[in-house]
Amino acid sequence: MVLPDQVLFAMEAALNGLLSGVMYALVALGFVLIFKASGIFNYAQGVMALFAALTLVGIQQGQVPFADLINLIPGVEVHSFGWTVPSVLAIVLTGLVMIGMALIIEALILKHLVNQPPIILFMATIGLAYFLEGLGDTMWGADIKTMDVGLPQGMSGTIDNVTNAWFGYGFYVDQLNIVATVVAAVLVALLMLFSQYSKQGRALRAVADDHQAALSVGISLRFIWVLVWSIAGFVALVAGIMWGARSGVQFSLSLIALKALPVLMLGGFTSIPGAIVGGLIIGIGEQLFEFWVGPLVGGATENWFAYVLALVFLVFRPQGLFGEKIIERV
Amino acid sequence: MLDANPEGYTTADGRKIGGVLMEMRNITLRFGGVKAITDISFDIREGEIRAIIGPNGAGKSSMLNVISGFYVPQEGEVWFHGQRRAPMKPYEVARQGIARTFQNIALFDGMSVLDNIMTGRLTMMKTGLFSQALWWGRAQAEETEHREKVERIIDFLEIQSIRKTPVGRLPYGLKKRVELARALAAEPKLLLLDEPMAGMNVEEKEDMSRFILDVNDEFGTTIALIEHDMGVVMDLSDRVVVMDYGKKIGDGTPDEVRANQAVIDAYLGVAHD
Amino acid sequence: MSSNAGGEYPSIPALLARNAREHPALAAYREKEFGIWQSWTWAQAQAEIRALAMGFLALGMARGDHVAVIGRNRPALYWSMVAAQMCGAVPVPLYQEATGDEMAYVLDHCGARFVVCGDQEQVDKVIEVQDEIRHIEQVVYLDKRGMRKYDHSHLNALKDVVAEGRAAHHRFEAELDARIRELGYDSTCVMLYTSGTTGRPKGVVLSNRNIIETSRASSEFDRLRAGDEVLAYLPMAWVGDFIFSIGQAMWTGFCVNCPESPDTMMTDLREIGPTYFFAPPRIFETMLTNVMIRMEDAGRLKKRLFDHYMALARRVGPAILDGKPVSASDRLGYAIGNLLIYGPLKNTLGLTRVRVAYTAGEAIGPEIFDFYRSLGINLKQLYGQTEASVFITQQPDGEVRSDTVGVPSPGVELRIGDSGEVFYRSPGTFVEYFNNPDSTASTKDAEGWVATGDAGFIEAGTGHLRIIDRAKDVGKMADGSLFAPKYVENKLKFYPSILEAVVFGAGRQMCTAFINIDLTAVGNWAERNNISYGSYQELSQHPQVIEMIRGHVEEVNRSVAEDPMLSGCQVHRFLVLHKELDADDGELTRTRKVRRATIGEKFADLVEALYGGAASIYTETEVTYEDGRKGAIKATLTISDAAVVPVSQKVAAE
Repeated sequence: MVLPDQVLFAMEAALNGLLSGVMYALVALGFVLIFKASGIFNYAQGVMALFAALTLVGIQQGQVPFADLINLIPGVEVHSFGWTVPSVLAIVLTGLVMIGMALIIEALILKHLVNQPPIILFMATIGLAYFLEGLGDTMWGADIKTMDVGLPQGMSGTIDNVTNAWFGYGFYVDQLNIVATVVAAVLVALLMLFSQYSKQGRALRAVADDHQAALSVGISLRFIWVLVWSIAGFVALVAGIMWGARSGVQFSLSLIALKALPVLMLGGFTSIPGAIVGGLIIGIGEQLFEFWVGPLVGGATENWFAYVLALVFLVFRPQGLFGEKIIERV
Repeated sequence: MLDANPEGYTTADGRKIGGVLMEMRNITLRFGGVKAITDISFDIREGEIRAIIGPNGAGKSSMLNVISGFYVPQEGEVWFHGQRRAPMKPYEVARQGIARTFQNIALFDGMSVLDNIMTGRLTMMKTGLFSQALWWGRAQAEETEHREKVERIIDFLEIQSIRKTPVGRLPYGLKKRVELARALAAEPKLLLLDEPMAGMNVEEKEDMSRFILDVNDEFGTTIALIEHDMGVVMDLSDRVVVMDYGKKIGDGTPDEVRANQAVIDAYLGVAHD
Repeated sequence: MSSNAGGEYPSIPALLARNAREHPALAAYREKEFGIWQSWTWAQAQAEIRALAMGFLALGMARGDHVAVIGRNRPALYWSMVAAQMCGAVPVPLYQEATGDEMAYVLDHCGARFVVCGDQEQVDKVIEVQDEIRHIEQVVYLDKRGMRKYDHSHLNALKDVVAEGRAAHHRFEAELDARIRELGYDSTCVMLYTSGTTGRPKGVVLSNRNIIETSRASSEFDRLRAGDEVLAYLPMAWVGDFIFSIGQAMWTGFCVNCPESPDTMMTDLREIGPTYFFAPPRIFETMLTNVMIRMEDAGRLKKRLFDHYMALARRVGPAILDGKPVSASDRLGYAIGNLLIYGPLKNTLGLTRVRVAYTAGEAIGPEIFDFYRSLGINLKQLYGQTEASVFITQQPDGEVRSDTVGVPSPGVELRIGDSGEVFYRSPGTFVEYFNNPDSTASTKDAEGWVATGDAGFIEAGTGHLRIIDRAKDVGKMADGSLFAPKYVENKLKFYPSILEAVVFGAGRQMCTAFINIDLTAVGNWAERNNISYGSYQELSQHPQVIEMIRGHVEEVNRSVAEDPMLSGCQVHRFLVLHKELDADDGELTRTRKVRRATIGEKFADLVEALYGGAASIYTETEVTYEDGRKGAIKATLTISDAAVVPVSQKVAAE
């Protein structure tokens, strides 16, 4: 099949956009989960991803947590336990740390803020974000780390060969993006199964729908909150692994949260499918926009395209693509 | 008086009423400086339909919320099954076998009728998070068993045709029925109904009365209900507590209560001095 | 199985035994309960029915006893009818919506010793009349709900009766078999009360010969067989349900499915997907209205697809169904339409698997009839009555039209009387009216010919029967021209916005009409046209509504005028009624047929106003609410004139 070069390039761009859209969706998913279950916009979601990535790398490389603090004690000088932990075990351990974090957040913050207005809870998550950021640095050090959990990286040979055979032009697609897509799909499928078919999933949906009614059927809100924050922590961990493997584990990782915002505006704050579709639209949209319009305006449209698109959406469909319709009741 | 029969009594239509299931002793509830309930004591016996009535603002809903754990009284004791109950969260109260409905209906609007009623059985599901993942088959068998119980309730309340309908789309009267179904799904020892007939037309009220009587008759469920419409309550209940301005002004069978001068005054609006 | 020569199987119990022997593992009954379809094979059904019959014997059921059965369609109630037959008793199914009075009359008239009730509601009605009707000895109920507090000295749960029968089978087995052997082709199979457009209901006695011969012939006519599925949802007291759910089911061995509750009928229909389906025109109409309402709300693309393919279906669908030649491109288009529209639509309606569907009882609107036919659903018409064990005429495949009721059913002889009244004679012709020799004699003559009470004619060429109206309703107007109100009413009722119509004119100079609007259809129309209304009454008198109705009336006038014999029946003046005609107020029969005389008397002031020339009239009407209370509604009704086609002018134009 012979297609014009322009079309082929656009297709390649769209494919790559699709795959990075999955990454956006992954982060947005964490927001949606917590927002649905507790009505809290969790500003700290991005930092949670950073924290999870830092912890994972730290555990994997046998770093001693709080080494800098410990080293303040005169005569003590520790940096590493001297062992490395296998990736899988490190991921499991990090998962446990995230669950522990959920427990602590519930006990120290949420429990005391029951029935407070959303803005107070939002402020609390901002505080949480700064605290976690500092905690991450203190625990594991502020230097840039590389994440290596054995995920394949670099150009996918298969796609290159296949597209070459089809179109006479090999697409460049990063293998990591493909892995991310598969992982995200599995994750979403698991979450859906969990929320539709398990006892806790049903309780979770109940709480998301009506707190008072949930209490009256014997659902403990605190348990559900710990559960939700644990899941959000786990999603953050997955996002942290993917983004960390892509661009290194450093402070800027927490800024991926900012990419998730337009995704949420597009997809709606309460819809899991919305987060996924929103992520994909933004991923593809910004690649194609850069490809066609970028050269005319001097490039770097990726920095702002998503926000402008979200803004347009805010004007015409404030509840997002899949969000519940907002009806003002008089 | 009735309290002289610790073993219970037999009603006019031949139902056996058992011993005391729940007892409120000298309950006082304050919001800030305002007393919502002042020193109220009464009991609820096993198998009985017990009503709490009173004009608007009498503190009936507060009393129901004390029983269901949504409010914790400053003074007084709550005894359940012969044991003093420590202050509890609402979900803990629910797990003790006390189910309730709400005056303003608290259902999960986004879920189907079936799913709503299934949530009523959450506390009875044993399989945990991990065993659910590991032993899918066993979890399914348990689900089937609960589903069967729920289907019996659906049949009982005649809501088969809306089984799969999202609750948000139902009219008011049916929502009330679904809420009752969800409470029943928990197989409660004590069922609390907060103004079950509020906002209903005559026909819906008759339906609801019939369901309440049938629930009591078929499942032997003890029922405590709040209502400000005196007419309905008098036909339904075995014994009635009357509240006014947070105080108990009467307690007894519907006939006794009807003859009580303080009750008559409260309902006719005689000035309090 | 194709013949029953010499009455090899002379009774329903004999057929049951045959089915249990020939297809023991085939599903015989299904019922949805607790959200799941429970089913019973023929072998299981036979065991249940025999146990129940022995339980009845234990309760003292004697030969010739009448056993009233009241309740919604449930397997156990069908079983109690068959079990009663086994005991040599006569089952008498009653309309469950009947009021206390109606029920008391029938229970008294048949002298029932046993009553089987579906639930507490029916038991209450029976207990209420038990003081007057002394011969009721035993009441059996199916649903235990709410029954605990009742005095059980003469009251039993059906389950307990079955258990008792099972426990006592040693004692009763021989007796039961003996009684079954006694049943012959001419012993009574069932007694059904006719709803009666006039006077008290009459008990129609039908023998095993009537039921089994009719079931055999009609099953062969449509090649019904074991493996077919029906949904039993129409009143058990109606002869049609008895023929479909007992007669034909027993003869062929097909499966009878009972809905979970009356409200879930449509869902259950979809889940079962019957292959053989009967519904009165009203139900087909409601189903179509629901489809149309949903299409109004559908997206533009969907609506256009629907309109396009429905137009195609209307053009070629019936021809394809009848196996007539259709061009290849139309066939392809129809196949695509089937994939996109007809298939999903039939699935939603639950009619995907239907091989044979019938409608009867009232005339069906041609466009409603054609709608179903064009989808490829083999909907046909039949003409029948209780006294004929249903079948008098029916439409053979390939000869289906909306304006005839078909050719005589196998074994039926047809004759048109001098007055135009239709007479028939058949193996299904009833034995007698119970305890009413006078009525029997006036309906059935010595040679076995039965007067249907309907006026009609046999179409030359095709041999199809066409029904004009009730014979006694076909009258003369003041100038001597023919007055056929039902003919006009049916034409009016074909408009979705008109629910009922009552035409007056016997002995008068001109015809006038009462119209009842259809609240669903007109309400929707009002919503689309931004017309607000507070009540049925207000909507009915809205000027735009009346204007729309006037349009319909005038269209009907033009169509009526085309037939010179009936052109005098054009409606000159009409009014839209302020209340829905209701069986509870005695204005309709329980089968929803208009009681013209009652309405004429009750609304005499309105009739006079129609002929008086006033433009409006104030009236007060007594109504009965569902709980039995009475009230009055007051209204001022608009009376409108409708244009008529002058008969002489039309003749002149030709």
